[in-house]
This record gives sequence, structure tokens and C-alpha cells, in this order.
Amino acid sequence: MDGRGRRKGEKSFFDFTLLFVVIFLLCFGLVMLYSVSSYDANLNYNDSSYFLKKQLISTIFGLVIMTAVILVDYHIWSRFAFLAYVVSAVLILLVLTPLGYEVNGARRWLNLGMSLQPAEVAKVGVIIFYASLVCKLGKSLMTKKSLFFIGITTAFIAGMIMIITENLSSAIIVVGIVFMMIFVASDNYKEFIAIGAVGVFLAAIVIILVQKGVLTSEQSFRFARIEAWLNPEAFAADKGFQTLQALYAIGSGEYFGKGLGQSMQKLGYIPEAQNDMIFSIICEELGLFGAVAVMVLFMIMIWRFIVIANNAEDEFGALLVVGVMAHISIQVILNIAVVTNTIPNTGITLPFISYGGSAVVFLLIEIGLVLSVARSIKYKN
Amino acid sequence: MDNLRNQKFTEKMQRKLAVSFMVVLLAFMGLSTRLYAISRDNGDQYKKQVLSQQSYDSVVLPAKRGEIVDCNGTKIAVSQKVYNVVVDAKTLNQKDGQFLEPTLTVLYEQPDISYNYTRSELRDYIVQNPGSQYRIIAKKQTYEAVSGLMTILNDSAKFPNIKGVWLEEAYQRNYPYDSLACDVIGFVQGDNEGSYGLEEYYNDILTGINGREYGYLNDDSNLERTIKPAENGKTLVTSLDVNIQSIIEKHILAFNKEHENEAREGNGSKNTGVIVMNPNTGEILAMASYPVYNLNDPRNTDGLTIEVSEDYGMNGIVISENGEEEGSTEAAEGTAETAETAENTADTLPDAEETAGEPVLSANVTSVTAPAGTELPETGEEAEAPAKQKTYEEAYEDAKMEALNALWKNFCINSTYEPGSTMKPFTMATGLESGELTGEENFVCNGVKEVGGHKIHCNNRLGHGKLTFSGALEQSCNVAFMNMGAMIGKDVFLKYNREFNFGLKTNIDLTGEALTNSLVFDLDTMTPTDLAISSFGQGFNVTMIQMITGFCSLINGGYYYQPHVVTKVLNDDGVVVNTFEPRVLKQTISKETSDKIVELCDNVVSQGTGKSARPAGYRIGGKTGTAEKYPRKRGNYLVSFMGFAPAENPQVVIYTVIDEPNVPSQASARYATVLTRDILTELLPYMHIFMTEELTEDEKAELMEKQIAFAVSASTEEEETGEVQLDEEGNPIAPADDSPQNTVGTGDEETITIIGGEEPETYEKKELSIDRETGYAIDPETGILLDPTTYAPVDPYASDLE
Repeated sequence: MDGRGRRKGEKSFFDFTLLFVVIFLLCFGLVMLYSVSSYDANLNYNDSSYFLKKQLISTIFGLVIMTAVILVDYHIWSRFAFLAYVVSAVLILLVLTPLGYEVNGARRWLNLGMSLQPAEVAKVGVIIFYASLVCKLGKSLMTKKSLFFIGITTAFIAGMIMIITENLSSAIIVVGIVFMMIFVASDNYKEFIAIGAVGVFLAAIVIILVQKGVLTSEQSFRFARIEAWLNPEAFAADKGFQTLQALYAIGSGEYFGKGLGQSMQKLGYIPEAQNDMIFSIICEELGLFGAVAVMVLFMIMIWRFIVIANNAEDEFGALLVVGVMAHISIQVILNIAVVTNTIPNTGITLPFISYGGSAVVFLLIEIGLVLSVARSIKYKN
Repeated sequence: MDNLRNQKFTEKMQRKLAVSFMVVLLAFMGLSTRLYAISRDNGDQYKKQVLSQQSYDSVVLPAKRGEIVDCNGTKIAVSQKVYNVVVDAKTLNQKDGQFLEPTLTVLYEQPDISYNYTRSELRDYIVQNPGSQYRIIAKKQTYEAVSGLMTILNDSAKFPNIKGVWLEEAYQRNYPYDSLACDVIGFVQGDNEGSYGLEEYYNDILTGINGREYGYLNDDSNLERTIKPAENGKTLVTSLDVNIQSIIEKHILAFNKEHENEAREGNGSKNTGVIVMNPNTGEILAMASYPVYNLNDPRNTDGLTIEVSEDYGMNGIVISENGEEEGSTEAAEGTAETAETAENTADTLPDAEETAGEPVLSANVTSVTAPAGTELPETGEEAEAPAKQKTYEEAYEDAKMEALNALWKNFCINSTYEPGSTMKPFTMATGLESGELTGEENFVCNGVKEVGGHKIHCNNRLGHGKLTFSGALEQSCNVAFMNMGAMIGKDVFLKYNREFNFGLKTNIDLTGEALTNSLVFDLDTMTPTDLAISSFGQGFNVTMIQMITGFCSLINGGYYYQPHVVTKVLNDDGVVVNTFEPRVLKQTISKETSDKIVELCDNVVSQGTGKSARPAGYRIGGKTGTAEKYPRKRGNYLVSFMGFAPAENPQVVIYTVIDEPNVPSQASARYATVLTRDILTELLPYMHIFMTEELTEDEKAELMEKQIAFAVSASTEEEETGEVQLDEEGNPIAPADDSPQNTVGTGDEETITIIGGEEPETYEKKELSIDRETGYAIDPETGILLDPTTYAPVDPYASDLE
């Protein structure tokens, strides 16, 4: 089988709605990126479109790869599922070699002719690997042996991301993706609710301990971030600075914002606003209205994912889509939650909008996978 | 792969996917609510916070104020970078204060920085004020002094424990020549704000745009800074020449030192102003007045006499000089000097009476000694009459500010006065240009002319006798000019006065030019008497800059150039961004009239009252002036000389004004002509204007001596030439055989009818009797004592204007 076995009389389907939403988000993201970063770029690089140009190149590169991925039958990827997992792990390990380099004090990047963030590769790798694995396991998915295997492999890759690249947020996303894929594929509810409850409970204990001063900022910067999250005003000068400035930006934007390009907070107050905190500038410039509009776009995107998954030709395709959906929805939710100080600061970017070359390329690869799955949907007149 | 294709996405899975979607949807709704809550609950607060931190969290990088240079590029005003040492106590208190001691040690190891605190004082301050983030501990230190500290602060790798200290840049204004051209340059006070002169007029151009340095914390909570550099101010290139300026200031100072405390306590004159101008461009080459102040220390009051009047507590009542009580508002309007005097003066000078309270006139008023109840208008405080009693300190402070304000003002553009006889060339130009005079008229002066019921005396009380048109100017005969005024008529006279810009501003590019529109006559207010005295420069007010600018147009072919000081504006890199070309505003008179005026003024110096202004070896033109100040009959005069050189092709115009020279008898223009001569003797060779006249042996000797003694003393020509007969203007009287028509007392006895006069006038020889007690001659008509050689009134309180 070569995957192109379509019977005559069936029209090929293409999800233009999803493609439109993606392209709209990309364009909107570039406009916002320019608005947010031009001041900083002009100061530091003497070129106000420095970040815009780099992002534009990555975006175009990503669109080309996405087109290629759409044209390839997605079933092929199941053959490379284990390879995807191994490559992800190896790339993460490579960060420890001289190929890895630091940006802003965090060693998360690889220099392979072009800069690459292994954590982004791992997210795609994990989606393909577990989609394939779940299909292979079939009915035996919920056996202890299978779950143990899934648990170990997930912990391994997430642990590497967290320890080697010191990137807790990507680790959380990887765990979240696996969690959601398994949840959808399995028949059970209770176990997942229990795991979720345990997670929330553990988080609550940590928070309480930080609050009581048992766990302090001197033990880990992560506890410091929890401290700052609990009381940003008290740490306004250092740990809570970014969060508080983001809140100022959101609050000062009110319902309809100051107007595109009119943000004051981007002028040196929100550090590197083009990365994690870009949503706060969207709130400041476009107001609550603009922010909700962006969230609605993401909802439409996720709705299309659901439609595609439900109509997918087979379980593998559907699970690929579920993985992508999990990735994007978790990342959007966590990003907005951080910006609004709903959860402690973890450093998660907003998909399609935040600055980041690796991120946009691999997100577009994921969209390519989804559109490829969509292409296989068959109309029955 | 077939396996894969056969495995379907079951309905159960679809249901679970729907559950996931619901969870995501709920999360999105929750976050939307959270966004809404932030905007609703904290919107206003955060909005304010965003605005307020704009200034708090960033550092202003001061722009360098532009320089002021002269025409040769010599720097007159420069800005020097200085550094404030600032401590951030909050940072120093971090980590249990582990940075405090090492940092203090480094700070106090710097030998050249002078701190406002001792080490222990600073330590106490830092410990007691843990929230303080900005405290200047050393101000305006030079680069040399802080360079050691700067190296340490920039090397955080080597000195990890040095924290919480930074250097704040600032600029300090420096004037390398101290007081040179102080009135033109002005100074800078407070936050880069220019006061007076070019510093104020061009403040926006000089200031530049401040830059900013933003501090923020990055992902790992390290403080980082970004810089938006400052845009430095632009440099002004002026037409001033430091050398010319030095020459005129040197001679002004010499004159004032020579006459210091001579007739009264104080400076050699109330004010001495000199302007040197290029008549062919309107460029000011030099402008100075006396007294001067040090631009680097403008608030120094050492040389000032600050008099606090004794009734400072009695606000609302001011005792005038006459001892009459006047309301304070009236006193404020009229100032102490406007107390009623002779009834006549009130008639002849209606405008001066009404407008004496204008700010422009206050320069003519002794502001230093003004009663405490009268504020100088420019202080912005009106002399209302609140019942508030002033303490002595307040009164002293007010008096000090008044004295300083008077000192800072530029006499040359800010003070108004009656010009006196330097007005006469303007009257002649008016007559010639309008055709009312032909230049062929003859006049007869018998010392007095009655106009509008007032007897107005000539400067020579015995009369000049028969005078030609040129002779009238040479001898500066008031009677002849009153006749000319009558022939011109007030319509034409006033029309041309407006043409010469009297009553209007010249709009020179300096701050504080006086507006004289209310200090001149108009058609409705001008009586025949006003016209008569206006024709020889009394009764209306002008500023020095108006006079010299108008006069330039008289001698340069009639072109009225806008006077200006700045010729070019350069940016920070020395590139010309703006050029001010000479600007002709209007043509006042024709070339023919202008040539005639040049010739007439040439005659004044070669054979008339201006002789003593001629520097050895040069032929110059000019006109003297001796104006009696208002109120009359106080013996207060303003003497002046307006000259140009060389006479045949004027390249430079100089105007010298001495307000109340500190001498027993002020009514002598000789003080101004000699001062002008001294200046020109040095100025003309410097300007590469070559001598055209042969030097006499005396002049050669004098020049030889001066080349050596230039810097030592001002000319004392009286001693060199011995006894010289002086006329009213202080010039040597021409020998009788040179110009017989000018000789007084030996004129013909027959009556001469003047040509062009409205009524025949007669000139009779007067018999003088000699007062035996004093040896002075007595005027038979008025009984006033006259000097037997000059026929000028001996009593300085006897006015020419009655």
C-alpha cells in the first residue's frame, strides 16, 4: 500500500478553515512581533526589524516543510516512530556537547548550521512515537506492563528536557501531550482523574510549603518563582518584575487597548516581551477585545482538530491530531495563565505568535501532519 | 500499515476527545474571565502604574548643551561632562549587606573625589535607609577624579562585591572667558535652562534632546540596561569676535575705573554700552556694557551694592525723594524718580510721564535703590498693597534679586533712553529724503528758540551764529535742527522715524529687547514743542540697538539689515545645519541721501564736534550726542558717540553710550568720543583697515607710546595736549580763522535772514558781563553763569531744555 489508494468518485478533502486560521495567526503574530520587538531591536541591533526578519525567514521555511509534510502520507511516520523518540533523546543529549549553546543563561539550543531547540523536536517526536505506540498496543493499552512502559519512556524524555535543558515548561508540555493522548485512547476515566488529583495535590503542597517558608528561593529558583507568583508586589523589583509588568500591561490596556504599536510596557519594562510575554502586549495594545479574539482563533483551531480527529481514516491519524491538539492547547493555556499570573512563571511561549524559530518550524510541521490526516478523510457523497 | 488503517478511532474515543475539548474550553473561559477581572479590578491602578514608572525606572542621559563660538571658532561657552556619584542603598543592603564594606572601601580609596559624607556618615545612611535607591554622594566630579572608580565599576568580574554604586552623567556649563560678552551670552541656571542673551534666545537649539537608560530584569532576575543615546545640542556660531569684544570691554573698564567714585560713590558711570557692528550685514561684532558679571558665577553679589530701604516694613507707603507721601501703586508706576518736578517738563514730555512705569524704563531707574515697596516688574511680582509685613531678610533678598536682575540685563538692547544729538543725522536724512530739505539751507542760531510757548536753548547758549546745513551738524546746533524739524513737519518726521524702526523692535536674536512703542510720539500726541525737541533727539526713547541699526542704514546706502548675532548653527559633528544670511528688511533712504549723510558725518569729525573721536591716522565719520536725562535739571546726562570707519567706505560702525558718567559736569560728549577713539585706535588695525591719513609727530609719538601702554591705561589726552578749549560737547573749539561763522561772540552785528525758515530770526551779538566773584561770564538774558571759554552753563543743574 502506498497510501494513495483512493477510490474513484471520492473527492479529496482539504481543511482550508484550519489552514486559514494558521496563516491568519502567523500573520497576526508577525505584526505583533514587529510592534513588540522593534524598540528593543533598534536599541540592541540598530535595526528595528531584526526580530521580524529572523522570524519571517523561519516562518517561510516552516511553511515549505509543512507543505512537504502535507503531501506525504502520514502513515509513513509510524515506521519512524521509535527513531523519532531516539533522535529526540539524542538531540537533547547533544546540548551537553560543544554543539550546545546558551542564550540568556539557559543552555537549550543546538547549533547545527542553524539554531535548533531539541525540546521542540521532542514534542513532535513524542506525538508520533506515542500515536504509533498506542495503536500497536491496541487493547492492551491499559495493562500494567504497557502503562509502566509508557510511564518510563515519558519520564525519561521529560526528565532529560527538565534536567539537561533546564526547561520545566517543555517537560510539562511533553507529559501533558502523553497524558491527553493516553486519556483519549483509553476507556477509563477514574485513573486519569486520580492522576490529575494527585498532581494538583502535590502542587498545592509545594505551594503551601513555599508559602510557609519551608521551601525557599535559596533552594531553587523555581520556588522563588512561586513566591513571586503568590505575591508579585512584594518582589516587584526582581523576581516578580516580569509578571507584575505584564499585569500592568494587561490592566492598562482595558477593553479596547491603546492601539496597535502604542504599548508603553514594551519600551524596556517587560523584558524580552517578544518571547513569553507577547500576550500581555497584545492585551495592552488591543485590549481585552483583542486578547479574546486571539483566544477564539485558537478555539477555532482546536475545534478543527477535533473535527479532523473524529473523521480521521484511522486511529493513528486521529491520535496524531490529538497529540497536536494537546500540544497547542496546553501551551496556549499555560502561556496565558502565566501572563495573567494564574500560575507561576514557567517561560512558555505562545504558539505561532511568540518569537522563536525552532518553535514555529516544528509547530508548522505538526500542522502539516494534521492537514495530511485531513486529506485522507473521505467524503461519502 | 494495514493494521494501522484497520484500527479505527472509536466512538468512545470521540467522546473522550469531546471531554478533552470541554476541559480546554473551560480553561479558555476561565482565562478570559481572569483577563476581564484584571482589567476591571486593577485597570485604573495599573494604568497609573505604567505611566508613573516611565520616569521612575529609567535614567535620563543628559544631552550635551551646544557650544557658543565666535566668528573665528573661539569657544565662548562650552559644556563639560561631569559625574555625580550615586549610591543605591537597597542594593547595598542585599544579602545581609555583604557588599557594603567592600564598596565603601573602594569609594573612599578614590583620592580625587570629594564626597558630601564621611565614610561612617554614609554607612549610617545606607543602613538606616534600606529603601533608598538614589542618593548623590558626590556632585559634579571631573572625569579625572572618577576615572579610577569608573574602571572598577565597569569590571564587575574582577570586583564582584562592588555593587549599588553608579556614576550619573551631567553637563556643566563653562565660560572660558568668565565675564567676556556676558550680556550677549547669558548664562544657564537650574536644569539646562538658559537665562538672558543667546543662552535664552536659542535655548531650544542649544539644549538638545535627553537620552534615556532603561533598567530591567531579565529571565534570571539580573538587572540589565538598555540605552537610547542623547541627541546633543547644536553649536551656535556667532558674528562676535572675541578680540574685538576684549578691546571694547578693556576700554569700557578703563573708563569706569578712571572715574570710579569721582563725583559720587560708585562706578565710573551708571552704565556704559558699546556696540560694534558691520553696517553691510547687520552682524554684531561686539557688544558690551558695564558693569559686567562672571558668567561662571552669575549670582555673585560681591561687587554689588545692595541697599535695603529703611521702610521695608511699611508696605504700601513709600516716601519719595521730595518727602511727599505717595501710594505704593503710584510709586510702582512712576518709580521714585517720577516725582513731580517742574511744570514745564510735564508739558514737554507727556509720553515719558505716562510710560515711566514700563519695564523698559526701569533700566534708567536706580533699581538697586528702589524702595522695597516697588518691585521690578520683571520679577513678576506686582506691587500690590497687601498688609503683609516683610522681614529684613525678605527685603534684603528682594533687593538682592533686583540688583542682580539689573546686572544681568543687556544695557545695549534692554535700556531705553533719549538719544540726544546722535538723532540729528536721522533728522537730516528725513529732510533730504523727503525733499523737505535741500541741503543748501543756512541757519542762524542765537542760542534760543521759542516753540509752543517754551524757550528752548541751544547747546551753545550764546548761539552759533550763521550756519550752513553741514555746519548745523558739525556744531550740533539745536536751534538749526528745531528749524529743520519745523520745515519737515511732524507727519513726515514721524513717518520716517517709523521707517528707521523707532518705536519698533529690531528683533535682534537676543533675549530681552525693549519695546519702545509707547515711548515714542504719534501724530496725536506730538505737539510743536515735541517735534522741536525730537529733531535733536530728546523727548522720545530708543534702545542702543535701534540707534546703531538705523544708523547703519543711513551710511550703507539705505539698507536696513536685521541686526543679528548668530550666523550659523552647527550640529554635533560640526556640520552646518542652518545659516543666517544677512537680511535686508527695508530700504530706509536712497543711496544719494546716504552718501550725503556719510559726507556730513565725515565733516562732523574732521571739523566739528566729533574731532576728539578720530583715531590717529584714520578718517572716520560720526556724530556726538549729549542727552539730558529725564527728569530735567538734575545734571544727569547720557553722552554718546556714533561713528563709522573708514569715512569713505564704512566697514565698521561703533556706538558708544555713557549713561551718567561719574564726573562733576556730565554734559560733555567728550567722554564718549575719547572712549570711542581709544577703542578705534586698537580696533581698526586689528580689522585690517589701513591708515589713510598722515600722522603728525605728536600722533606718531602717541601711537608709539600706546603700542606699549595699551593695556596699562586709558588715554588721558588732556594731559598730552595741554589746555584745550572745550565746547559744549567737550570738543576743542575750532580756532576762529578756521571757520569764522562758527566763532561765538565775534559774529557780525547785522541781522541775517535765514533761508527756509518760517519766520525771520535775528542774531545779535551778546554782551557778556563777568561775575567778579567767580570769574564766570553771565548770560544777560537768564543770568546763568557761563564758562568764559566754552559758554556752557557752569551750573550743571541749569537745563538746556526749558
